[in-house]
Amino acid sequence: MIILGFLKRSSLISWRTWGLLFAISFIWSLHIAGISERDLVNQGGWNLVWRFVVAAIHPELSREFLLLTLNASLKTLAYAVCSTFFSILIGLIAGVLSSEVWWSIGNNQTPWLFGRGILAFPRAIHELIWGLFLINIFGLDPLVAILAIAIPFGAITAKVFSEILDETPRQPLLALLNSGASPFSAFVYGLFPQAFPNLLSYSFYRFECSIRSAAVLGIIGAGGLGYQLLLSLQSLRYEQMWTLLGALIILSGSTDFGCTWLRDRWGLPSRLDLNVLNFQQHRKLLQRDSVFISILAAIILFIFSFWYVQADFSKLWQVRSYERLATIIQIALPPNTSQLNQLFTLATRTLAMSILAIASAGFGGIILAFLAARNFVLPQGILSDATKSSQLHLTFLRWGVLLCTRFFLLFIRAVPEPIWALIFLFVLFPGILPGAIALGLHNLGILGRLMAEVVENLDQRPLRSLQAAGATNPQVFLYGVLPSTFPRFFAYILYRWEVCMRATVIVGIVGAGGLGRLLTEQLSSFDYNSLLTTLIVFVILTFIVDLISASVRKTLR
Amino acid sequence: MNTKSLIFELKNVTKSFSPLQALTDINLQVYAGERVALVGSSGAGKSTLISLLNGTLLPSQGEVWVLGRNLAHLRSKSLRQVQCQIGTIYQQFHLVDNLRVVHNVNAGHLGKWSIFKAVFSLIYPLEVKTALKALTQVGIPEKLYARTDKLSGGQQQRVAIARVLVQNPQVILADEPVASLDPERSREILELLQQLSQDLGKTLVSSLHDFDFACRYYQRIIGLRQGRILFDVAAKDVSTAMVKELYRI
Repeated sequence: MIILGFLKRSSLISWRTWGLLFAISFIWSLHIAGISERDLVNQGGWNLVWRFVVAAIHPELSREFLLLTLNASLKTLAYAVCSTFFSILIGLIAGVLSSEVWWSIGNNQTPWLFGRGILAFPRAIHELIWGLFLINIFGLDPLVAILAIAIPFGAITAKVFSEILDETPRQPLLALLNSGASPFSAFVYGLFPQAFPNLLSYSFYRFECSIRSAAVLGIIGAGGLGYQLLLSLQSLRYEQMWTLLGALIILSGSTDFGCTWLRDRWGLPSRLDLNVLNFQQHRKLLQRDSVFISILAAIILFIFSFWYVQADFSKLWQVRSYERLATIIQIALPPNTSQLNQLFTLATRTLAMSILAIASAGFGGIILAFLAARNFVLPQGILSDATKSSQLHLTFLRWGVLLCTRFFLLFIRAVPEPIWALIFLFVLFPGILPGAIALGLHNLGILGRLMAEVVENLDQRPLRSLQAAGATNPQVFLYGVLPSTFPRFFAYILYRWEVCMRATVIVGIVGAGGLGRLLTEQLSSFDYNSLLTTLIVFVILTFIVDLISASVRKTLR
Repeated sequence: MNTKSLIFELKNVTKSFSPLQALTDINLQVYAGERVALVGSSGAGKSTLISLLNGTLLPSQGEVWVLGRNLAHLRSKSLRQVQCQIGTIYQQFHLVDNLRVVHNVNAGHLGKWSIFKAVFSLIYPLEVKTALKALTQVGIPEKLYARTDKLSGGQQQRVAIARVLVQNPQVILADEPVASLDPERSREILELLQQLSQDLGKTLVSSLHDFDFACRYYQRIIGLRQGRILFDVAAKDVSTAMVKELYRI
């Protein structure tokens, strides 16, 4: 209730106030990051950076290493498939149980709020922390990687699924209930089919995220591309790194491309609409021919993945696992609160890191989004000059800009944040700055891509009418393009800010400071009492960020 | 009339959505086989009355008796059994757009089907013959496997009626069944409802905007004005004075 009240009141805060608050917090973050101090750059590191960049020209292409890369890629893919499967399974069950519409059938309001409340906790903790924790219970087994992704992703999926179900029109469901159908049958017939396109589209999106996450999890020893990247980086074999990065880009890029293609072909809502839960009526109809092949491919991929990861699922119901869990819980209670002061300092540093990261990613994303949007750059685009568009060399230039921007965005989002952080730690002293840059770059890649989709989905008619009324290109941009894209842009930036906050943990692991670093230290020294306190502080911080983001997004509507 | 069984009985029913009072002190009896039209301007309480009759809403005061049971006293399972005997069609059809017609028609079975049967039928449609028969009765047998959102408005309303036929209730309620359709389609749908009601002996209660339609296709007209019953007469006894009074602002 307090939260709801806060949201209601804070929606009165205007645009300008938020802008001012942002400016203040940005400057504060810069100050925390120590931007004014001298010793930020480690001059000795430039040498390593140079070697890393030069290595891009001749990546390691020996037969054995390529085989190793292939194996690692398949492993990452298999992890992603298995964990997506479990995420969706958890998401479906928990999603229905925490949806308002399911409980509204019985006129019961409390359980769904309760359900969503429970889901908030696994969601707030990053996959990597889950992984490090689960290793203590199950030992070093592929099962750890699968569960580490499936638990938080399952909770996120459940939240989104329940929101999708709640947003689905209810009249058909009520019509069936009124004719005496049982609640479950009415759900299956009246609500599920309508929600299905959105649920499926979100599942695709989760798969794309799982690929990136599976790569990151490699860093804690789960194997796959992330693990190999870390090994090569630590042994200073940059040629190998570029081969692995190439593989990661191909894997992540082809997954993104494949999912977009299927969405488009099946008339599913885009990634865009899902993230901010904005469903239009999608009237485009399914093209049946690709359905059968896709289902077949999915089944093959599914069987292959489970065979390839060789996870020991029996550990899930072994008594020993539960004994270990019980022991850890026993040790962890009561939480150690002796270091609250230090925790507070670290929490502010973590917050500052996330603000710096998302501010730079958002700013860069807005600029790059226009350069990566097909309808903006290419001839016959929104701002193209009809008299000049016929010139061939200009057309080439335009295509060049588009492809380069898109590749750049793909590259920076395919490289996991910890790898970026490690590269920047060559030249920057440990602290929140390298972490912020690493998070910022990765999110820039994601935001640029999402925002480019916003630009490409722009309604062209108002722009044409402005042009017809004699507006120049800059005027069309100011009056037509910006007003219709910016609210969406900011919604995305805020959404990614929430993700960014959680991800501060994983750059913390490689030494980029903040609560994440403390968390990993406590995990590896089995200091569970302090760990519990740190986790609680981190979860509270995450909730605060979510709350601010939600109330700013409310003002945007 | 009194020899026939009582289907609906409303005793001093008031329904308020605070602060608004949608229906005030309604007393009403509907007997088996009757064709009743509820008329009145927008906001007169027609839809609220229909919702009270099929148990979607419960009255704020008074009692609603359906098929001899007081709805307020029923547990959810018995309420569902009563609801199985009431088929409702709506202005906006309330069909599941992206399912094929056969599944929407089969949804009429859900009150009787087990959960497993319901799920299985979504993969492999069951009782197709019954569905086809119902679609033939409403005149669109060829649309059995079409996607519902590809049909026109009139065809979708026919699918909704077919769903009710499969449900095979004693009573058909229709909440503004033709308000989304053009006059010609409206005439067809109302004719269909009238004919089905006569042939199958179903009680029919509809809310309608159009007064002429009401008098042409129904036996009994109930005029609602600001949540109260203004008149309740046989269709042949409706006078122009009543109509004037009904729509007076």
